[in-house]
Amino acid sequence: MIVVTELTKRYGRRTAVDRLSFEVRPGVVTGFLGPNGAGKSTTLRVLLGLHRPTSGSATIGGRRYDRIRRPLRDVGAVLDADAVHPGRTAADHLACLARSNGLGARRVRDVLARVGLTEVAGRRVGGFSLGMRQRLGLAAALLGDPAVLLLDEPVNGLDAAGVRWLRSTLRALAAEGRTVLLSSHLMAEVALTVDHVLVIGRGRLLDSAPVAALRNRGATDVVVRSPRAADLATVLTGLGASVTPGVAGELSVAGLDPAVVGDAAARAAIPVHGLTRRGASLEDVYLELTGTEAEYRNEEGAA
Amino acid sequence: MTAVFRDAVAAEWMRLRTLRSTYAFLAGAAVVTLLGLLLLALLIRTFDAAPPAERANFETVDPTVVVVPFVMFLVGAVAAASVTGEFATGSIGPALLAVPQRPLLFGAKATVAAGCGLVGGLLSASSTVAGATLLLGGRPAPPHPWPVWTDAVATVAGATLTVTVAAVVALGLGALLRSTAATLVTLGGLVLVAPVVASFLPPVWRLRCGSVLLPNLTAQFTGADGPYLLPPAGAVGVLAGYAVVALVAGAVAFVRRDVG
Repeated sequence: MIVVTELTKRYGRRTAVDRLSFEVRPGVVTGFLGPNGAGKSTTLRVLLGLHRPTSGSATIGGRRYDRIRRPLRDVGAVLDADAVHPGRTAADHLACLARSNGLGARRVRDVLARVGLTEVAGRRVGGFSLGMRQRLGLAAALLGDPAVLLLDEPVNGLDAAGVRWLRSTLRALAAEGRTVLLSSHLMAEVALTVDHVLVIGRGRLLDSAPVAALRNRGATDVVVRSPRAADLATVLTGLGASVTPGVAGELSVAGLDPAVVGDAAARAAIPVHGLTRRGASLEDVYLELTGTEAEYRNEEGAA
Repeated sequence: MTAVFRDAVAAEWMRLRTLRSTYAFLAGAAVVTLLGLLLLALLIRTFDAAPPAERANFETVDPTVVVVPFVMFLVGAVAAASVTGEFATGSIGPALLAVPQRPLLFGAKATVAAGCGLVGGLLSASSTVAGATLLLGGRPAPPHPWPVWTDAVATVAGATLTVTVAAVVALGLGALLRSTAATLVTLGGLVLVAPVVASFLPPVWRLRCGSVLLPNLTAQFTGADGPYLLPPAGAVGVLAGYAVVALVAGAVAFVRRDVG
């Protein structure tokens, strides 16, 4: 359980995190979303004791991170996959971390195998691709078999197969009852991975909701296609729907269920060639939430 | 010593020996030692070739005076890199995630730096003194700096101690400055350049400043009638002062400032 309470972090006059409060529950994958500069990384850094909060608190399992002895056994984290000494081999990098927490060489072999880096364990990290470094970062996070995982932008630099691998790995880790929090600035990256999302913008919490609830939140309509679109539009308007004609005999119908639309067409003996419910994408909902909060927007986005 | 601290020290020691740069700097220290002995060999040839009347004018030639400042710099560089190398590569992040108690992590780094200085200083000073004793053979003092072997022991002990403190000072500077380049320039200034600059000062100031400079302390431990002012106890006090100031300043910077 991660608890952030009224957390504020200022760098000089710039406020990166502004009275932020949220909780992350175990057993689910929680996405920490927000545009660039929203304060995601800052929040994670404060949570992990790398930065001091200006005020407020952030605890993991009820304790401040820097009060946990041998924390790798409780919390695993990857903040920056590039933050590895390039002159050290992958195995040595992990061995140093393991040694500091009293973990044996066996754990190093186990996590290297779990992330698929066994074959390159003896190579210096300087020659690793970003994708390999992400895997190495996750290996370090898993060293102590922790109950809590915090990952900052873990999808960055992964190829399609890597993204799929990460997704199934994180879902498996959450299914084992662990608390998993991963940040991203792109909803599309994590929509299939996370169960719950926290959305922040300019250091403030904008929303906290299950992905399923977020999906239903956007405006939905029914798209029906008919060779007699104009006749069908009259019928549906008569039922109280608001109908917008589209191209090629398509109608966008708001305010009616697909079943009601189909039944009405049948009663009027109007042929129907297509009938679907159309939902707003998660991306749309996310953009709507963060649209006014993004630190920098292009003119098109602002229009 | 708690188990957590012991593990942190073991991890820091592993960090040091899993990097090639460590061995490069230590090889540099070995080369400097050999060069010091080569220099001595050349001086001995001149001494042997000189007529007896001129031999009386020869001064004592202690090769540690030349070798030790460079060893201080090179071993100090290893110690400094254990902090600055981590800030440069960002690997300080994972290190702090593994050991988030910053005073404890800094203590572990200081322990390993001091250990590295102790071993590096002892190896270099003892091989310099042993090599010099062999080269000088039965020649009189001067040029022989240690007519009695116990004098040589004092020199080795003093050199080992100054190299150890130099490593600790380098670590403190590294934690304060966080940059490898800035730390090495400052360290080089302290142990290599400052003695040269001091030698250009007017005599009174040359003595006062020269006596408290890190590399010049070595000679003052032995109580030998050298050119400087401090008695052995005073030299030890100044040396301890260097270590304490560097450790406190480094620790405060390391504990208080945000990382990453």
